[in-house]
Amino acid sequence: MVEYVTAPSRRGIAQPLTAVFRKMLRHPVYRYLLFLSGAPITLIVLVCYQYRRSKLGYRTIAAEVENELRQSGDYESLAAEVRQQQQRKHRFFGRQPDEKQLEREVAHLASLKFNARVKERIERNIAERGRKITFEDTYRQLIESPLLFLLSLLLGWPMYILMGIYANPYLKYIAERLVMAIFVIFGVAFLVFTLLYLSPMNPAANLLGETATDEQIASFNRLYGLDQPYLVQLWDSLKGILTFDLGKSFAGNEQVTEAIAGKFPVTLTLTVVSTLIAVLIALPIGIISATRPNSFFDYTFMFIALLGLSIPNFWQGLIFILNFSIKQSWLPATYNPENWLSAVMPIVVLGTGLTAAVARMTRSSTLEVIHEDYITTAKAKGLSRRTVLWRHAVGNALIPIVTVIGLQFGGMLGGAAVTEKVFNISGIGSYIVDKQIIPDIPSIMGGVVYTAITISVVNVLVDLLYAFLDPRIRSKMKQY
Amino acid sequence: MKPIITDQQRQFRLKSAPEYSQASFAWIVSIALSLLLLLGGYRSETGDFSPVLLTLSGAYLVFALLQLAVWARIRLDLIRDGSIRGGTRVLGYGLMLSLLSGNVFIATAAFQLVRAKKNAAYTLAVYTLLTTLLVFAVSALNLYKPYVANSFLTGMALLLVAAVIQLGALLFLAKVADRSVLPRSTAIIAVILILTALTGNVFALLLGLLLIARLRDGGGSAGSKTGQVIDRLSRSSTSMLGLLFILFLFALSVTSYWTFDYSLAIENNYSAILQPPSLAYPLGTDNFGRDLFSRIVFGARISLIVGLLSTIIPVVIGGLLGALSGYYGRHTDNIIMRALDILYAIPGILLAIAIIAAFGASTVNLVIALSVGAIPTYARTMRANVMLVSTLEYVQAARAIGSSDWVILTKHVVPNSLAPMIVKSSLTIGTAVISTSSLSYLGLGVEPHIPEWGNILKLGSAYLETHAYTAIYPGIAIIALVLAFNFLGDGLRDAMDPKLD
Repeated sequence: MVEYVTAPSRRGIAQPLTAVFRKMLRHPVYRYLLFLSGAPITLIVLVCYQYRRSKLGYRTIAAEVENELRQSGDYESLAAEVRQQQQRKHRFFGRQPDEKQLEREVAHLASLKFNARVKERIERNIAERGRKITFEDTYRQLIESPLLFLLSLLLGWPMYILMGIYANPYLKYIAERLVMAIFVIFGVAFLVFTLLYLSPMNPAANLLGETATDEQIASFNRLYGLDQPYLVQLWDSLKGILTFDLGKSFAGNEQVTEAIAGKFPVTLTLTVVSTLIAVLIALPIGIISATRPNSFFDYTFMFIALLGLSIPNFWQGLIFILNFSIKQSWLPATYNPENWLSAVMPIVVLGTGLTAAVARMTRSSTLEVIHEDYITTAKAKGLSRRTVLWRHAVGNALIPIVTVIGLQFGGMLGGAAVTEKVFNISGIGSYIVDKQIIPDIPSIMGGVVYTAITISVVNVLVDLLYAFLDPRIRSKMKQY
Repeated sequence: MKPIITDQQRQFRLKSAPEYSQASFAWIVSIALSLLLLLGGYRSETGDFSPVLLTLSGAYLVFALLQLAVWARIRLDLIRDGSIRGGTRVLGYGLMLSLLSGNVFIATAAFQLVRAKKNAAYTLAVYTLLTTLLVFAVSALNLYKPYVANSFLTGMALLLVAAVIQLGALLFLAKVADRSVLPRSTAIIAVILILTALTGNVFALLLGLLLIARLRDGGGSAGSKTGQVIDRLSRSSTSMLGLLFILFLFALSVTSYWTFDYSLAIENNYSAILQPPSLAYPLGTDNFGRDLFSRIVFGARISLIVGLLSTIIPVVIGGLLGALSGYYGRHTDNIIMRALDILYAIPGILLAIAIIAAFGASTVNLVIALSVGAIPTYARTMRANVMLVSTLEYVQAARAIGSSDWVILTKHVVPNSLAPMIVKSSLTIGTAVISTSSLSYLGLGVEPHIPEWGNILKLGSAYLETHAYTAIYPGIAIIALVLAFNFLGDGLRDAMDPKLD
């Protein structure tokens, strides 16, 4: 550290860089990434490191030390000690181990201990000679020369970007979260494709009818690439998902991604609007219920919430249509993008479950928070009930609620199929359901995967939001 | 002279007596049901009320008002003396008559009111008897049918015998259950009760096992953890009512093999198409002339089986994966949890649709599809618990005495991390029931010829304008079952919550 303070400017760069470098080397995954991203640089450093080690005679020292220790009977004494320990252990448990197994155990444990001792002795030996060589020191010594540093920047810029990301805890968290999301997205695509590939259904026969000849089926399969081997088809689908070109659907001869792009916004708008409305209704109800636990208000609203959780969407939709469209004709029974009144019932039906779940969650999490010690402290300071509740309790109670909203949003987007069918909305859910009979592989694949991608993106946003809102997570992030 | 008590004391006295909250719950629910029945009985075409529903609504209202009066007396007693007087408790015997109108809310409150000292055995005995009586009453509706199943009389006779035995057991337990040491003859009663559980009455089975467990305990009243959970659960009236409905449906599903005629539910009868509710067809008939009431009773079987299976399978698989992941940590954890993250990213219904699209719609595929989607949630719950339990001292102690990982995991870690799994599964079983019927409604679930609730609803939804009841009744059945599971789940969570200890 003293060195760092008094160092001239170029050493000032080398020092923190080496610190990051050392830290990354300790992490198994980042070590590989570091080697890969800075391939030319790390190779040079590795060669220098090996060269200097051999110059120092690392191998000779190691052989010397090991020999010395063996000569002095170190191994035998260790083995005897271990044998005694083992025998004592077996005696304690009243077991009678057979000789062979005991010897095997002893040999194993003793060699482990012996190797550790040898290594320790070598390190000490080298340290005594005053020239300990590590990989990261080699790296530092190399980049201390400005010319070599510039060269390393030129050759190994990906490595420096990686190091920059690693050095900043927020960036690192975001990057790791994004990598996870990408991994999940590919996983989803792989899973859904494999499921549809394994399907015993025969889309060609289903689509062309019973009268189709073998040639017709074969030419259909060739047209859509269904005769290709598994890996080729998988690669095509993954590529198709990334380039937004999944080819044409089996039935209807339309571009799959175009069809999805036309239907997805409908579902997304309905879900987002009903999520917003649900949260606006549920939060106050939950908080008021929590401030008056076991009151009439609390019981009534929690019962209604439980009822809301228990009503199947399609039944609620049917009852709404029966009462508000058939009996009273207040609202149109089917959805029509031009008429906003027709969106009222679908939004209410979609949002019921979420409202109920969020209200229950808000109640329980607020109840938990207002029994914490720091709330008592706040009350003891003489703050008013209102200040305690809004300044101290609600903020912290919101944290688990955000998770529930994120999770439920995904469920809503996926479960919208049922509501869409009831109200005849041409959204992504009903699109997938319509396509499952054939099964129209690219359409189902696209529908499911793009929905999953949207949900993953929303979850990443929720997680990031969290990380910046919750001081506990923020401080944990810095400790990495 | 009347002692003056503070508001806080008053609140405390009211809260200390469970009978008070039970009574208020009973009358509020009864009035609500009475209003619902009145609304349901209104026929907009003719502008009058259906006589059957009107009578039923009146009966509910009368008992609700009686319960309200008793509630007021309980309140007065509690505020004045801090306890309920004997005279008020006797009124409970009168309220038991509400059972004749099928009002289990007031009846269960009354059974609790008549006894000053309660215990789990007595409560279970009450619910055992109630279940059998309800099954008997619902099965008896078949008497109005043009014909009944061949084994109808045998089945009803068996139910009657079971009811008499259970009534005897209830009276016996009312006398002895408070004693710290049960008499030896309890063992015989317990065995007979377990025999009556053959009618599908799980309450009888539970009660029999509870009595045997208490006999084996001897006087030791400390009680096991399970005993405590049962004890706490039996004190919560909402969760017991939820359990009552679930087990009633279960018992009905079992006894319907004898007392119901399956042909009425599946065979077309073109002479009775779309009949409105009547005594012969209590919930009307559908567009093929099939009896909606029988169909819903048979549908309960499917809903219960699919709901239970698609909860048990992911609990076992997810629990196992979560336990391995939480116990071994590091690479095992990473691999398992990352793989499950992929499953977790696809919403349950969407994954089920994809699986069913690939492998076709059938009940087996439905169960598999619903199970696969639920695995990650259970794995996460289990992993968190196992990670917590693995750090406790008794696990370290087990490791120190040389137990193998497998023994530690199966004997020490998993049994102690099960409670949150049970709570979670009881809360999500309702979701499974909803998903089952939703997928059937979309034509992706149970085969259309099987009378599953979603299938019945799908057929009924086509007649929404003219014969709305064909879509309303199966929906009510679904809601009631899901609500019952949710109430039970909430009760279980409260009963198993270690924070209450």
